[in-house]
Amino acid sequence: MVITGIGVISAAGNNAAETLQCFKRGTRNAGPVTLFPTILRSPVFEVKHLPAGYFMEGLRTLSLALVAVDQALQEARLSDLSRLRVGVCMGTTVASQLNDLSFYRSYREKGSAPMTAIDRFLTGNLAEYIARRTGARGPQASVVNACSSGTDAIGIALSWLKSGLCDIAIAGGSDELNHVPYCGFNSLGIANPGLCAPFDRDRKGLNLGEGAGVLVMETRESARKRGAAADLMLAGYGSSSDAYHLTAPSPEGVGLKAALAAALEEARIEPSAVGFVNAHGTGTHDNDQVEGRTLAEVFGPGLKMVSTKGLTGHTLGAAGGIEAVFTALGLREGWIPASAGFQTRDEAIPLEPVREATAITGSYAVSTSLAFGGTNAAIVIGREAGS
Amino acid sequence: MKIVGMGLICSAGQGTAGLEKALQQGWKAPGSVATPHIPGGSAPAYLVDFANVADKTLLKKIRRSDAVSKMSVLAAADALVNSGIRDITQKKLGIILATAFGPHVTTFNFLDDILDHGDAAVSPTTFSNSVHNAAASYIAMSLNIKGPTMTITQFQFSFQSGLQLAQAWLDQGRCDYVLAGAVDQYGDVLGYVADHKLTTAKDGRIRPFAFERAGQVPGEGAAFFLLSNKQEGNVFCSVDAIHTQDDPDQDRTVDITVIDADGMLPDESAYLPLLSKDIPTTAYSPLFGSMMVGSAFNMAAGALMLQQQKRYAAPVQDNPQGIRLLTETGSGPVASIRCLGLDCYRQRSVLYLRR
Repeated sequence: MVITGIGVISAAGNNAAETLQCFKRGTRNAGPVTLFPTILRSPVFEVKHLPAGYFMEGLRTLSLALVAVDQALQEARLSDLSRLRVGVCMGTTVASQLNDLSFYRSYREKGSAPMTAIDRFLTGNLAEYIARRTGARGPQASVVNACSSGTDAIGIALSWLKSGLCDIAIAGGSDELNHVPYCGFNSLGIANPGLCAPFDRDRKGLNLGEGAGVLVMETRESARKRGAAADLMLAGYGSSSDAYHLTAPSPEGVGLKAALAAALEEARIEPSAVGFVNAHGTGTHDNDQVEGRTLAEVFGPGLKMVSTKGLTGHTLGAAGGIEAVFTALGLREGWIPASAGFQTRDEAIPLEPVREATAITGSYAVSTSLAFGGTNAAIVIGREAGS
Repeated sequence: MKIVGMGLICSAGQGTAGLEKALQQGWKAPGSVATPHIPGGSAPAYLVDFANVADKTLLKKIRRSDAVSKMSVLAAADALVNSGIRDITQKKLGIILATAFGPHVTTFNFLDDILDHGDAAVSPTTFSNSVHNAAASYIAMSLNIKGPTMTITQFQFSFQSGLQLAQAWLDQGRCDYVLAGAVDQYGDVLGYVADHKLTTAKDGRIRPFAFERAGQVPGEGAAFFLLSNKQEGNVFCSVDAIHTQDDPDQDRTVDITVIDADGMLPDESAYLPLLSKDIPTTAYSPLFGSMMVGSAFNMAAGALMLQQQKRYAAPVQDNPQGIRLLTETGSGPVASIRCLGLDCYRQRSVLYLRR
């Protein structure tokens, strides 16, 4: 399946070009929360300037998603979807929950609450909304697999395309920075009081972020018929459960190994063919240790690895979509950014992320996601032959 | 794709035996639930009572989980046992859970924490359980399933989306078996919203064939299906086709049409032109309540009829439009069933079940 369009928005930039500039400079656009009042102090990566025309009251996750979707459709040269078989598969966490504090406060205190928040919620299901907005009439799914949602959404879209449920798929993830998970991650003791440092020996947790990342994927036949150019492909996807713990990864990386094996098998490549891995790399002790050890075991200690969360924060349900776009950009541009925040090697992890912008070789790259509940997902993106 | 095992829990009972008993007995008035913010202070609702669960081993194992996870684990475990397939959890088995609202009661509990105690003094356990994929994760952990584990959420046809994905996974060899199901829970906030936006049947009697005034009565529960392309286990039926939005098979002849009508749409008369005078129609929402994932329970009823070669009468038969209803319960050949759902945009979902 080929990738004919990408779209991305995060604290690192409102589109791919701005993101690459940010990556070159290594700028970390983090700061205190401005989107809602809070006494908590963990820095966050907010999108400071939503592009004009995309603001929707109380629907920030949708706004971010639409920015990325429109970019991806534009690059894919798709405007009228009504006569095409297009599916929409999007990952999220925030857009799935009725966590409107003002609505709930009113319900609790007054015994009644305005239905505007409900109407927003009921019409704001991510995949359903994007399908209506774009006119896509194929299968729809909003994936809520916590932090692997975006990667899983892309993997589901791959299954749809392979099974013939659609010819084209809009897939990725979107999440806003929201008060509720911000409090939740703080309560878990994994919100960093400073800036995150993925894979660093002295890492102290994650910073939350927000954004959206979207791929337009299609069958080669569909792209050929439309005359659409494609330099990249989605070659494989794997997913597996640890069946271990609700909030901690399996110490042996059982699920991640299985997900990687399945993705590489579908792509029909050996680990040695992988030029780099865009790791989940949240900056928490457990994730980075398990992930780093597992990646070293599968790919060897010489693997080029980057965590981009030092530049975007952890965008939860969007992370898989955003990092799929970053992985695609890495292959397309031939380099990956420095792993922001990393300074000191952790001797418990047998490999370290790249310390500076690094040229990459090879035709394939992998993006990984590890999630709450012990779900693990990996995708393999490749260069199209001759590109 | 075949249904080779089935498990469910709802107000009418647990497991296929519970479903069969409910279908046999017909409509029974639901219990009532306290509704602090609805006039009258109480309302009818079809709720699950965990005290009625005979074997509490699993409930003890997941005692820290919320009701959404408990219902999901119980139904999923029942589906595996019901299949009779040995060592099923050691095989290539995936999980797909569909929900409209997820663990909203736990989410509101977490909002209570924030409002009552402030941002810095909230419960991490409540937060962990408020995440939408907690229920599927509890299934994986408590039953030791290590295949792909997916949670999807939509207000329109999330269960059908899950079935489409299950079919794709099976056909592509990602799994040899998929445990696919749906869950939703009642809570007082959603009860308030439903009462505000829809017409509640105050007598607890959903009238699915009244269409414009069916009246909703909230329900809750979980239904899971073990799916496989193999002919093994406790085969109920094949799921021949899964369509959303359009139905290219609409001219297909079936023996029974089961509709998802349950008062969850303000006007459900869009079902009318889709029903045939030649095919008896039924609906089982009056047995388990109004739910956006109610189609999973209707499919369970359809699967049971195909396996048993038995037709179960519509439990509530108020029929102002004079459509042809399935009015009597009895044995007889059933070769195929159409399960039909509509959303608020009048798009349809159709599942074709075949013996």
